[in-house]
Amino acid sequence: MKIRLTVNGEKREVDVKPETRLLDLIRDDLGLTGTKEGCGKGECGACTVIMNNKVVASCLVLAPQADGADIKTIEGLGGKDKLHPLQQSFIEKGAVQCGFCIPGMIMSSKKLLDENINPTDEDIKRGLSGNICRCTGYVKIIDAVKDAAHKIKSGGEENV
Amino acid sequence: MKRQSKNVKNKPEISGKDSDKYFRPESKEELIKILEKHDGELTVIAGGTDLLVANYKNLYKIEKWLDLNWLDSFKEIKFFDDKVEIGSMVTHQRLAKLDQIKEHFPVIQEAAIDVGSPQIRSRGTIGGNIVTSSPAGDLLPPLLVYDAKLKIISKDGEKIVDANEFFTGPKQNVLESGELVEKIILPLEDNESRGAWVKIGKRKALVISSISLALNLVFNDNKEIMDAKFCVGSAAPVPLRIEKAEQNLKNKKIKKINIEEVAQIVSDEISPIDDIRGTADYRRKVAFNITKSALQEVINQ
Repeated sequence: MKIRLTVNGEKREVDVKPETRLLDLIRDDLGLTGTKEGCGKGECGACTVIMNNKVVASCLVLAPQADGADIKTIEGLGGKDKLHPLQQSFIEKGAVQCGFCIPGMIMSSKKLLDENINPTDEDIKRGLSGNICRCTGYVKIIDAVKDAAHKIKSGGEENV
Repeated sequence: MKRQSKNVKNKPEISGKDSDKYFRPESKEELIKILEKHDGELTVIAGGTDLLVANYKNLYKIEKWLDLNWLDSFKEIKFFDDKVEIGSMVTHQRLAKLDQIKEHFPVIQEAAIDVGSPQIRSRGTIGGNIVTSSPAGDLLPPLLVYDAKLKIISKDGEKIVDANEFFTGPKQNVLESGELVEKIILPLEDNESRGAWVKIGKRKALVISSISLALNLVFNDNKEIMDAKFCVGSAAPVPLRIEKAEQNLKNKKIKKINIEEVAQIVSDEISPIDDIRGTADYRRKVAFNITKSALQEVINQ
């Protein structure tokens, strides 16, 4: 069946099955492989995307449920030419180790900073509580989110 | 939840191959028609945060989906003089954020804040938590201490069931095929009330409770406890009201509460099991301790 949705600002029409997960649609049909599958059960957060302004585990959303939705994935934040402040800060602060969890971490961080540009450490821990890093690099991840908040406040997030 | 369906109202209906396997009614009338036509064939999806986990790798085996996410009327929260009606498709995230829930039903709000993670709270619903009927369902003890009633609908009509009589066993309840929970009805209390919520798990986020506890005390003008409700989760086949503890608390002034005595009653009354989240012995000890801390919290409020 055909559904229509907006992904990173682009309108897309995709043929899906009722049981296709949003994660599979994003990765397999749209080829946006920045979004990762870790556990497939909503526990690790590697598949986190922003759907209608909410963070969701895309492994727990059916593609037909995203009909008409506005989806933002890691590819929609920025690329090599122009990194989002979060991406820049994650690199600068050494928050990326193996990297697998990072797209999800950054999407949750994006949502967190959209709502609260002055987060405390506790706010960041709660905001990222649905994302697991098995390299256990949490300290630098928290540093990176704080650094990104600082960058955004001083005007670094135009065109985002 | 944003009103998704408004954005797509002018679009063509979902069509094409397989569209007869996925139903997304936008009104109660449409819903009832689908229930009539496909009686017994439908797998109902609310937030999907339990269903998609339980059917991981077997999603293709589901023949026909009934998706409740497009029913805007199931997402409403309505306040009346004497009660509040919460639509079954209200998410944990909304319960966690709404000031009116905090004001009138703080124990529900605290439990909603403790559900899963941001990703789970944004999709998971109060109705899904109820119908999944896990003894560890975080919202269930709070609903029982506020005397919740459930409005159940089907093609044959509707009925009201007391939440305390809804759960019959682990992941079992009184719902029959073709019946859905439409809304949760909570009475509004005029008198002063104080509540507490405790959830114990191996970590703070994304954890299934090892044991949980909800408590609500209502006071009369003489500052005596006129009504006490006490409910423990993950410590019996269903969320369990501890009536002996409730009786012990009733008609007492708050300073006269015998914390140790109530804690012992709770520890004795539950019927926990050994499982991966803790042993029965552990749960009895923790039940004792969290009862003490919950009562202390209520006394200090």
